[in-house]
Amino acid sequence: MRAAISSEWTKLWTTRTIWWALLAAFTLMAAAAGQNSFYVNNGDVPATSAGDVAVLSVAIAQLAFVALAMLVMTSEYSAGTIRATLSWVPSRGRLLSAKIAVVAAVTLAGGVLAGLLGGVVAAGIVDDASDITGGAVKIGIYLMLLGVLATGLAAALRGPVVTLVVLLMGIVVVPPLLQIPDISVLNGIADTFPGVAGDHFLSGDSNPYPQAVGLLILMGWAVLAVVAGWRVLQRRDA
Amino acid sequence: MAITLQKLTKTYGRTLAVDGLDLEVRPGRVTGFLGPNGAGKSTTMRMVLGLDRPTSGRALVNGRPYADYQWPLREVGAVLEAKAAHPGRTGRNHLLAMARSNAIPAGRVDEVLGMVGLGDAAGKRFGTYSLGMGQRLGLAGALLGDPGVLILDEPVNGLDPDGVRWIRRLLRDLAAEGRTVFVSSHLLTEMQMTASHLVVIAKGRLLADAPMDDLLGGHGSLEDAYYELTESAA
Repeated sequence: MRAAISSEWTKLWTTRTIWWALLAAFTLMAAAAGQNSFYVNNGDVPATSAGDVAVLSVAIAQLAFVALAMLVMTSEYSAGTIRATLSWVPSRGRLLSAKIAVVAAVTLAGGVLAGLLGGVVAAGIVDDASDITGGAVKIGIYLMLLGVLATGLAAALRGPVVTLVVLLMGIVVVPPLLQIPDISVLNGIADTFPGVAGDHFLSGDSNPYPQAVGLLILMGWAVLAVVAGWRVLQRRDA
Repeated sequence: MAITLQKLTKTYGRTLAVDGLDLEVRPGRVTGFLGPNGAGKSTTMRMVLGLDRPTSGRALVNGRPYADYQWPLREVGAVLEAKAAHPGRTGRNHLLAMARSNAIPAGRVDEVLGMVGLGDAAGKRFGTYSLGMGQRLGLAGALLGDPGVLILDEPVNGLDPDGVRWIRRLLRDLAAEGRTVFVSSHLLTEMQMTASHLVVIAKGRLLADAPMDDLLGGHGSLEDAYYELTESAA
């Protein structure tokens, strides 16, 4: 297992994808935090502390993390390297676990760093400079779970386009559509989507469920995606 | 018994790609694997490597399924397709990731790069490689774990005459060291010069499994022998 992780770690850091993704993530985070800080100062946004602003700003930067996580799996198919990879590590379970371990480590660390960056940018603009560390930790956990979800889903779907479309649907497209009519049944459905559950975890509101439940729902989606990915890897020919 | 196929069968929907192949590929000689396009050569090799799941039957390497090995690269070296590395990764980093996956010392990477004559290009990204350089990198990967069994699908594709001669000598040397070398090719003349034993399949079925000299007996060339075999099977 350690060898498989070491191999995936080496693969991750030896193409340019990771650098572009991190650059995009940090740039988007800093820009969104700056913009949201001005909204806060104008009283347009309910957030108050710098940590809150960072949490709010992750909505855009998360796309770079999701893309990075997804590409760890889909690039094996688009570049045609999956057969080579499976001939190095024939156990599908071991390979998927190694990829998930690497993605989780990078999205957690990168997420905390991005959260700190967003918090620091916001602290320079808004009056309340608190909650920066707490916000960054939450962002790291959120992005890690989202990264695991994206990796599992990518293993199940294989193609980058279809994977990204499904992820965007579940995170940013479908929930707002359900919420627009403001009908309680539809709102209830929206609350079970990974993006909304993640929002409830990040924002720490207690309605409609406590913060911990939001975290659990997001975890549930991540586990579901990984199981789906593992089953497809196990059953289908490479 | 380095590679053993037992009633190996693969169907795709209603198409029978590999049809009950029984075969033993032995060490110490180069075994050529011949057959028309679509005969099932690549499918067979993929099943040996645990990439495709047999519909029925088994493929074993040294008595065990490939996927059962913790460090498979130390048992089997394979070149399946020339395009098997990420275009954005350098040849050296590709081999480094490969070595780490099987706990092979990193120092071995430069050794195999030297063996295949890729030392200078190792720092360049794979996307810039010619087909021949890609084949050399694939061979470097196959040799990485110093395996006793080598499985090569069309390894001379894209190589220049020097490369073809080099690979012919390399395969014979590897077999002479007691390794099992199982190599597919479309190039009959090339195969006649490299292999000492031949396996011929068509439509997923075994047509011949015999020493080169037996197959050639009575025919002017391997080409004549091959056409007589495959045409009588059609």
